[in-house]
Amino acid sequence: MDFDFSDDQEQLRDAVRKWVDKGYDFERRRKTVAAGGFDRAAYNELAELGLAGLYISETDGGMGMGPVEGMVVLEELGRGIVLEPLTQTLIAGGVLSGYGSDALKAQWLPKIASGETLVVLAYQERKARYRLDVCEAKATQSSAGWSLSATKNMVPAGDQADAFIVPATVDGKIALFLVERNASGVTTRGYGTQDGARAADLQLVNAPAGLITTDGLAALEHAIDIGIAAACAEAVGVMDKTVAITAEYMNTRKQFGVAISSFQALRHRMADVKMQLELARSMSYYASLKLNAPADERRRALSRAKYQLGTSMRFVGQQAVQLHGGIGVTDEYIVSHYFKKLTQLEMTFGDTLHHLGEVSARMQDTAGVFA
Amino acid sequence: MDLAFTPEEQQFREDIRAWVKDNLPADISHKVHNALRLSRDDMQRWGKILGKKGWLGHGWPKQFGGPGWNAVQKHLFEEECALAGAPRVVPFGPVMVAPVIMAFGNAEQQQRFLPGIASGEVWWSQGYSEPGSGSDLASLKTRAERRGDKYIVNGQKAWTTLGQYGEWIFCLVRTSSEGKPQTGISFLLIDMKSPGVTVRPVRLLDGECEVNEVFFDNVEVPAENLIGEENKGWTYAKHLLSHERTNIADVNRAKRELERLKRIAKTEGVWEDTRFRDEIAKLEVDVVALEMLVLRVLSAEKSGKNSLDIAGLLKIRGSEIQQRYSELMMLAAGPYSLPLIQEAMEAGWQGDAAAGALGGFPGGVVANAPLASTYFNMRKTTIYGGSNEVQRTIVSQVVLG
Repeated sequence: MDFDFSDDQEQLRDAVRKWVDKGYDFERRRKTVAAGGFDRAAYNELAELGLAGLYISETDGGMGMGPVEGMVVLEELGRGIVLEPLTQTLIAGGVLSGYGSDALKAQWLPKIASGETLVVLAYQERKARYRLDVCEAKATQSSAGWSLSATKNMVPAGDQADAFIVPATVDGKIALFLVERNASGVTTRGYGTQDGARAADLQLVNAPAGLITTDGLAALEHAIDIGIAAACAEAVGVMDKTVAITAEYMNTRKQFGVAISSFQALRHRMADVKMQLELARSMSYYASLKLNAPADERRRALSRAKYQLGTSMRFVGQQAVQLHGGIGVTDEYIVSHYFKKLTQLEMTFGDTLHHLGEVSARMQDTAGVFA
Repeated sequence: MDLAFTPEEQQFREDIRAWVKDNLPADISHKVHNALRLSRDDMQRWGKILGKKGWLGHGWPKQFGGPGWNAVQKHLFEEECALAGAPRVVPFGPVMVAPVIMAFGNAEQQQRFLPGIASGEVWWSQGYSEPGSGSDLASLKTRAERRGDKYIVNGQKAWTTLGQYGEWIFCLVRTSSEGKPQTGISFLLIDMKSPGVTVRPVRLLDGECEVNEVFFDNVEVPAENLIGEENKGWTYAKHLLSHERTNIADVNRAKRELERLKRIAKTEGVWEDTRFRDEIAKLEVDVVALEMLVLRVLSAEKSGKNSLDIAGLLKIRGSEIQQRYSELMMLAAGPYSLPLIQEAMEAGWQGDAAAGALGGFPGGVVANAPLASTYFNMRKTTIYGGSNEVQRTIVSQVVLG
């Protein structure tokens, strides 16, 4: 039992923090939002730091690192509310490494690790809401190979990505496929999202696809859990910075002749915010440390984590705006952007109510971290 | 970073588990697992069993006869005891006054008092709060006047937990009214058999006499019972409060009680009720998050890092969770938590034979008898040990300065 970071992990954190502080200031982010919410140049800079290959083995051109390193990186990206979807790259690296054939790995992983190719998960369907076992997309096999017909929504950076990991059913069972954006039968429509980033709807009409695995539901659940752990870590970074911004504001802003941080009503609210932040950080650790556990244990743990993080995110975000007062609801001031990021993260990979249902359904007789 | 305990820590846990299994009396663990009334004898019997093994002062360093365990070992010991259904160690002697005597008492005081604490022979009480001094403890008024080689103590202490069993009491007393309130306080050990000491039990909302008022009327206390220097008592008291920070979260007991809540929910038929079950699920996450918080503090202590900025959260969260599980247990039993039948909270109650078929606990499940009383009793947790509002003020200082 040990929650210290290794020297290598601290160095990784420093490197990412330095890039966020020096290379990704609020002005650059604002320009990216105005230009549509995705900047390939910024994504490539992340890849140059080696981050796109975090979950890809060194043999395949990556860094061969694990969930704790992923957590460290996402915390730092969260601190800067970075728009480019590195979480998607971690998912792609994890899923292809864990479930793809050797040929598929050799073909895709080096390109993902270098940043040359951006692969994102396209799974959201209208009727599924947050369920993973509901899928209307269909795959058919012919002598020419697999082809997919599907409509997927909210695909991160969907009109900028180079390929998609797509769940589709074969004889009623979910399988996972890889579809290239420039293949025939692929159409996308991009749009901005509430957090300032970019997503797209994706339509596939008999689009040629490569099979990743027929064990699609297990792979998809694993993909989502990688995403949850990353979202939790990212949220911790966002909240950490949100709390720091708010504390600084409270110590600067004067009303009735004194700094508003001297008012007990506000101080106690801040104590509650700190509580939610540290519960969230604890459960983010828990999520990452359980990411390589057997599927049952992993699913239960990740839902517990996302429930806590969702609760914390909503509270911290709302209270940060409230504690700022009027300036908190302006676009010009930075805190509203952190609030919107937290709001979107809460609804990514299953919201708080959804994961409460999962925790409830998966409860056992025993209790605690090790149960 | 690693969630798992090391093989050595696992082995340590196994050893503790085996020892507790062999040494914890079954009648006592039965009472603890079912929240039945514990007698003075039950508490002291377990204390003495631990004392004989050298584990009553399980947080003590080796030089004072303790096992010299680190923070993680202490946690594992407490967890195994809690899960096995051991009563909580009455903390006033081994956990509260002993560390102060070790740190600030002289050699003579250490030799005189520590052995009786370590063995569980002597029952200690705490004399801190007063009727006019709750969260604002430094405003305390109980006076100790030096006359020759004695102190004459006059005043009143309040909320003295289990003071009706107390043989000795450690008190904060006022020895000076000059300067800031904190600077005129001394730390005094008082024999409760001294003439002029009166203990009056106070009945609480759950019908139990868990706390007492302790009156001091011209009580003569030998000056050699003063710990450290006169007027430095506040410093010593703060030392005491900084001890055993993770202990106060009581996460091990929370785990045990959450498991009990699940059993009650199944018996009462609310386990399949989504609305109720989701409330248990929320508590399940709360308990995991609290345990992770505790483990983070322990890990930081083990590697010698400062963890103060999150340790302050433990009391708030731990106490809220204690209240919540007791609340949900009561709500699970619903109307069957409401009959007030005192005898049914004792172990071995067989019902009222004279009443025939209707002589059992209403509804037939005697385990429901103490649920409401426990709920009422647990309201204390967010009040004692520095109310949660005082704790929030402390936490806010970490964030806002």
